[in-house]
Amino acid sequence: MEKNSARWIVISLVVLLVLATFSLLWGQYPIDLHTFIQYLGYKLFGMSGGDSSTFALLDNIILQIRLPRIILAILIGASLATSGAVFQAMFVNPLVSPGILGVLAGASFGAALGMLISDQWFVVQILAFCFGFVAVGFAVLVGTMVTNSRSSVMLVLGGVISGSLFTSLLSVIKYVADPYSTLPAIVYWLMGSLSSAELSNVLLISIPMLLSVFVMVIMSKYFDILSLGDEEAKALGVNVKMIKIIAILVATLASSLSVVMAGIIGWVGLIIPHIIRMAVGPSHRLLIPLSAILGALFLLLADSVSRLALSVEIPIGILTSLIGIPIFVIVLKNARAAWN
Amino acid sequence: MELEPIVNVSDLKFSYPKREVLKGIDFELYQGEVVSLLGANGCGKSTLIRLILGLIKGKGDIAIAGKKLHDYSQKELASHIAYIPQYHNVPFNYSVLDMVVMGRVFKLGVFASPSKNDFEIARTALSTIGIASLENRAFGELSGGQKQMVLLARALTQEAKTFIMDEPVSGLDYGNQMRLLEMIKHLSSEGYTFLKTTHYPDHAIMVSSRVVVMDEGRIIANGTSSEVITDEMLKSIYDIDAKIVTHDSRQLCVPMFRE
Repeated sequence: MEKNSARWIVISLVVLLVLATFSLLWGQYPIDLHTFIQYLGYKLFGMSGGDSSTFALLDNIILQIRLPRIILAILIGASLATSGAVFQAMFVNPLVSPGILGVLAGASFGAALGMLISDQWFVVQILAFCFGFVAVGFAVLVGTMVTNSRSSVMLVLGGVISGSLFTSLLSVIKYVADPYSTLPAIVYWLMGSLSSAELSNVLLISIPMLLSVFVMVIMSKYFDILSLGDEEAKALGVNVKMIKIIAILVATLASSLSVVMAGIIGWVGLIIPHIIRMAVGPSHRLLIPLSAILGALFLLLADSVSRLALSVEIPIGILTSLIGIPIFVIVLKNARAAWN
Repeated sequence: MELEPIVNVSDLKFSYPKREVLKGIDFELYQGEVVSLLGANGCGKSTLIRLILGLIKGKGDIAIAGKKLHDYSQKELASHIAYIPQYHNVPFNYSVLDMVVMGRVFKLGVFASPSKNDFEIARTALSTIGIASLENRAFGELSGGQKQMVLLARALTQEAKTFIMDEPVSGLDYGNQMRLLEMIKHLSSEGYTFLKTTHYPDHAIMVSSRVVVMDEGRIIANGTSSEVITDEMLKSIYDIDAKIVTHDSRQLCVPMFRE
């Protein structure tokens, strides 16, 4: 059984690698494989051969434009799908997505506030990140302390309240924003896009994002147990409170950073875990690592389509919704056996 | 029997904001016993076992193997006591083997996954319970009786020697009820200790070495089934007329309809 798991992980990693390579080569300026191999030899081993002016152009296309975007798609896809799978296990509900505790609404409000009060992009990013956490903190506060409850249902209700609050506050920002400059910027940003990826930023953000995904993957064996409900999980020797705190922290970190870098990209966190459950069953020991890889694969594919299919680039958030909705309908049709 | 009880409860009280559930319970469970907790709905049986499992907190003392309950981590407690809940549905339809191997997870290090050995232990537990053939079936597609047996197999993989069961036969058909009671009896002969709640005096008579009767948050009787389960006791806690008769040297509980 575990050998089977390893096989699935290796196969999906190979597919991801192949797609990433194609995505690196395809675009408005296609790069042929031979030139690319020459370029790799030149960059990695200092090998001669090939045209240096072409290499300068490839430096620009690959390092400045395509590579950061590909890495970002992989990081965000992995983060959102893994967070979705973790929250679905934690809240014992297969219809939960990463935004359940209000992180996406909070980060959206933070980003919009940033655009309203500052021209600096890092202010927007910092506010998006901070308000993602503020929204989740508020949800936890309402769901546990105000109601004096430890039930997951109250936590979800706290998330609903927090999400609604920050969505309302976002509307206030949109209402007061300059309708000719700031408002379109906010609306466009909320549609989600990977186009502003820069290599240095992407590499910097990859550390906390990969760390979050890694923590969720190593905790995967606990999520099977957590999905049985708090009391049974405790009786099975699991420190439920600690695991929930760590899970909420890392899932919020990963989701917040994805909003910081690319705005709102929906559906990934909901449909990817479902597709994997249908294919390989519900055990989180395989579901969580595969969610990371297939989430990355899905978003990279969506981004490649959004770059290549039409002459005008479609915001990726719109595309993931358009792809996600029919997939979800198919999943729902077939999913009853997978989750009763 | 050892002198030191596995579970020792003294002056245990528990209240909800508007209702006192346990009003001072003194209770001991010794190794090798099969103790049935009997009592009407709402008498505090389930609350008592939830307190012993550390799932809720009350006032008073609970000691497990001589050490206070609140000095145990959840992990340490799971290596002493395994909890077998009533069979239930799970939101994600895990395989039977996956369900059973969950009993091993608290023993694993942070970075470890269940090993070949853990799966072997899970398979052995399934064989012990007599359901090895269900290994690859989906838990959600099993009958109630099979689910209950799977949960029992999971408890075996914890390698705890004391099992706590909350109304284990609830919702099972008559055949499965008897098979489960037989299994409890078998495991008890292998050295496992059982504390279980039940609504059936007959079942308490069949498998218990001791019966504890609760009423309105207090223990009102504690002894062997023949000492405790009497016509008067059944009348007092269930408000029914029933006779305890003896057939082939076995006690049977026969309820009588009122004229």
